Amino acid sequence: MERAVPLAVPLGQTEVFQALQRLHMTIFSQSVSPCGKFLAAGNNYGQIAIFSLASGLWVELVNSVLHFSLAHDGPVYSMVSTDRHLLSAGDGEVKAWLWAEMLKKGCKELWHRQPPYRTSLEVPEINALLLVPKENSLILAGGDCQLHTMDLETGTFTRVLRGHTDYIHCLALRERSPEVLSGGEDGAVRLWDLRTAKEVQTIEVYKHEECSRPHNGRWIGCLATDSDWMVCGGGPALTLWHLRSSTPTTVFPIRAPQKHVTFYQDLILSAGQGRCVNQWQLSGELKAQVPGSSPGLLSLSLNQQPAAPECKVLTAAGNSCRVDVFTNLGYRAFSLSF
Amino acid sequence: MSSESSKKRKPKVIRSDGAPAEGKRNRSDTEQAIEIEERRIQSCVHFMTLKKLNRLKGRDQTHEAKQKVDAYHLQLQNLLYEVMHLQKEITNASGVSSKHEEIDLVSLEEFYKEAPPDISKAEVTMGDPHQQTLARLDWELEQRKRLAEKYRECLSNKEKILKEIEVKKEYLSSLQPRLNSIMQASLPVQEYLFMPFDQAHKQYETARHLPPPLYVLFVQATAYGQACDKTLSVAIEGSVDEAKALFKPPEDSQDDESDSDAEEEQTTKRRRPTLGVQLDDKRKEMLKRHPLSVMLDLKCKDDSVLHLTFYYLMNLNIMTVKAKVTTATELITPISAGDLLSPDSVLSCLYPGDHGKKTPNPANQYQFDKVGILTLSDYVLELGHPYLWVQKLGGLHFPKEQPQQTVIADHSLSASHMETTMKLLKTRVQSRLALHKQFASLEHGIVPVTSDCQYLFPAKVVSRLVKWVTVAHEDYMELHFTKDIVDAGLAGDTNLYYMALIERGTAKLQAAVVLNPGYSSIPPVFQLCLNWKGEKTNSNDDNIRAMEGEVNVCYKELCGPWPSHQLLTNQLQRLCVLLDVYLETESHDDSVEGPKEFPQEKMCLRLFRGPSRMKPFKYNHPQGFFSHR
Repeated sequence: MERAVPLAVPLGQTEVFQALQRLHMTIFSQSVSPCGKFLAAGNNYGQIAIFSLASGLWVELVNSVLHFSLAHDGPVYSMVSTDRHLLSAGDGEVKAWLWAEMLKKGCKELWHRQPPYRTSLEVPEINALLLVPKENSLILAGGDCQLHTMDLETGTFTRVLRGHTDYIHCLALRERSPEVLSGGEDGAVRLWDLRTAKEVQTIEVYKHEECSRPHNGRWIGCLATDSDWMVCGGGPALTLWHLRSSTPTTVFPIRAPQKHVTFYQDLILSAGQGRCVNQWQLSGELKAQVPGSSPGLLSLSLNQQPAAPECKVLTAAGNSCRVDVFTNLGYRAFSLSF
Repeated sequence: MSSESSKKRKPKVIRSDGAPAEGKRNRSDTEQAIEIEERRIQSCVHFMTLKKLNRLKGRDQTHEAKQKVDAYHLQLQNLLYEVMHLQKEITNASGVSSKHEEIDLVSLEEFYKEAPPDISKAEVTMGDPHQQTLARLDWELEQRKRLAEKYRECLSNKEKILKEIEVKKEYLSSLQPRLNSIMQASLPVQEYLFMPFDQAHKQYETARHLPPPLYVLFVQATAYGQACDKTLSVAIEGSVDEAKALFKPPEDSQDDESDSDAEEEQTTKRRRPTLGVQLDDKRKEMLKRHPLSVMLDLKCKDDSVLHLTFYYLMNLNIMTVKAKVTTATELITPISAGDLLSPDSVLSCLYPGDHGKKTPNPANQYQFDKVGILTLSDYVLELGHPYLWVQKLGGLHFPKEQPQQTVIADHSLSASHMETTMKLLKTRVQSRLALHKQFASLEHGIVPVTSDCQYLFPAKVVSRLVKWVTVAHEDYMELHFTKDIVDAGLAGDTNLYYMALIERGTAKLQAAVVLNPGYSSIPPVFQLCLNWKGEKTNSNDDNIRAMEGEVNVCYKELCGPWPSHQLLTNQLQRLCVLLDVYLETESHDDSVEGPKEFPQEKMCLRLFRGPSRMKPFKYNHPQGFFSHR
């Protein structure tokens, strides 16, 4: 495994400490800028780094363009981008940044909000952010087992959706209805109707024999939906579901728990424990396994911004300080590093 | 004349015209012809007499005139000659400067100011330059007489003073032996009053024979000891006579050379064995040490002493040091602590990267090539280590960019590094001694946590340290779960490596430890491998990775009170706590029968958090529950 960052031999106290920090860094979230040329990545120390994708395409091992220290007090678990802002969330609050300002040093957050929590003992984390463009609102979900909706214009929290019995890992949006899917530690995938603010459907994945894997647990770590279809994974096996009938149609044969899954053209891309990004046909066949540089992956990001077609890349990050960039889905082109 | 002759002729022609021509023609023609001839002859004679008369008269006249002219000419010549002569005299006279003009006379204003009126006679001299000059000369003479007087007086004074000086010198030279005898007599008094001036004086005497870098070290260390650290003792060891013998006068050495040349001729006649011996001798010569060395004894608070002996290698112009640690009580060395206090490695990397295996003087490489020495590290055991801080304490600075011709020992360089280095040395000895004690306890399976660090851990810790051993550097590199550390460049050959084994029930946690010589400012680095229901390392289990992060990255919480000697033991204790949390919070697998092997006893708010489903590893004091970072 090649070293991502060319380190000088660490001699003094600060060099050793920085090397150790890098070794133990985990990148939880990524988000592409509206112009498509920059990638933001958030790690477990609360730092957000901005990488330049355009220049990175030609230079190996590009260091970050900008580096914020301590954008958050805790880890940055999830990030999304609107057409002008970057929204990042971690320990209990969501912060907004202007993309145009981010490229300059010393950028300050535009605003930060904390959803109304019930418990006060411990601040729950926010694991997933979801943008609902039709309503111009943001859905947050995480440690307090509820989904909160926040109106992006006014900043007020409009809805609270309760139903999960353990904390929520991931969210997905079904554009048509509009419906929101959420998957959590309790092993259930719940569908919520946003207009009525009620739970519409529940799928308890671990109860289905084809996909349950008790030794891994029942938690749902990742969700993706494509109108009638949903793919989810985590403790149970990665499975493709038909939503209306709530039946699992395909079980993908991979033992490692998957932490991120997404639909791409006619493929399903997934990543999780293990270094590879897996490409699946809808029939359940493994089309390709492309190894990355981190021992485990937590997030995948596809840059499909129309403004920058030359930067159309897949980026993967996880249990290391590196973001792998795949220009062609077949191989890893290069890595960006904190 | 011709005109006269022509006049004479004319009448002749007229006459001939006048006379009737017819009758008398025959006779008259020949008579006329004879008459004409006679007359012609007469006229010629007349002409000649006339000429003669003229000439005679003229000659007298010209003669007189000539004489007159000659006389005048002569007079003129005489006069001109006189004039020239006089002119020459004049120029000569004006050229000759009389002696009085060579004398530098005082300027006119001064003269009139200073000279007494009877000499200057202003009224007379103002107008008349001749008198003025005379007056000035007079004044000059006066002055000179006075000065001559003064000179004689001064000479006699000088003689007197010289004599006095002689007398006093004799007096002083007789004083020296008397003073010596007084000092000898005062020695017992000095000892009685604990003021060893004499001893210090003797040391300074020996110090004069030290080579410059050792001298700088000696002076600066003594100064530091007097100013900042009264327990520091500085001494010079070695033979002063040998040091003096190094500076033999040239004639002796030439004789030696010629003798040795003769010897060498004899020896080269022998065959090969001497070539190797010669090379060996050359090497020994190159690595020769100066006979004198400086010894520093640093005393720490717990009565342990670090003995440092500094040597100077003359031909290489570098200093080396040998170290030894002695403690107040006899130390029983635990097996794993072998390298901690060994003279070879106790001072390794005092400053980051200063391993002391290579010579710091770049010029030495050329010298080594000549005698076939590969590297100084082969000789380090007997010669001592040439650390960079040792060179700095001796004032030697070897800049990498421009190799200098001669590096001179510099006092200011030594002074600027002395305090920091002494403090680092003391910290190093104390941390090594602390580790020494801790290792003894660790080998018995007890993690020694001091009372002021108890708050970092819960009261009940079930996991136990079972084994603590040293591991060789190569073996560490071979382990499958240490690749990250090796790739990050944190596992060099100057570090010390250990393996700890923590057990609870059927779970075995292996921890590979990298101990940097700069402990405890540089933290030890742990890599874990858990054997329980399969093998889990940081590459396949996020929680193991998080546990490593808890001890490697969050080490500052575990430092304890300064000087943070408790870091290693606190890290080990934390690992035990982390293992407890890991095992107890493992979610129960419903498919497997039987109860959980490790019931949960730790108080946790939540078992899993975040996308990676982390366990609660952070201990909160004094509430005593576990939460997530």
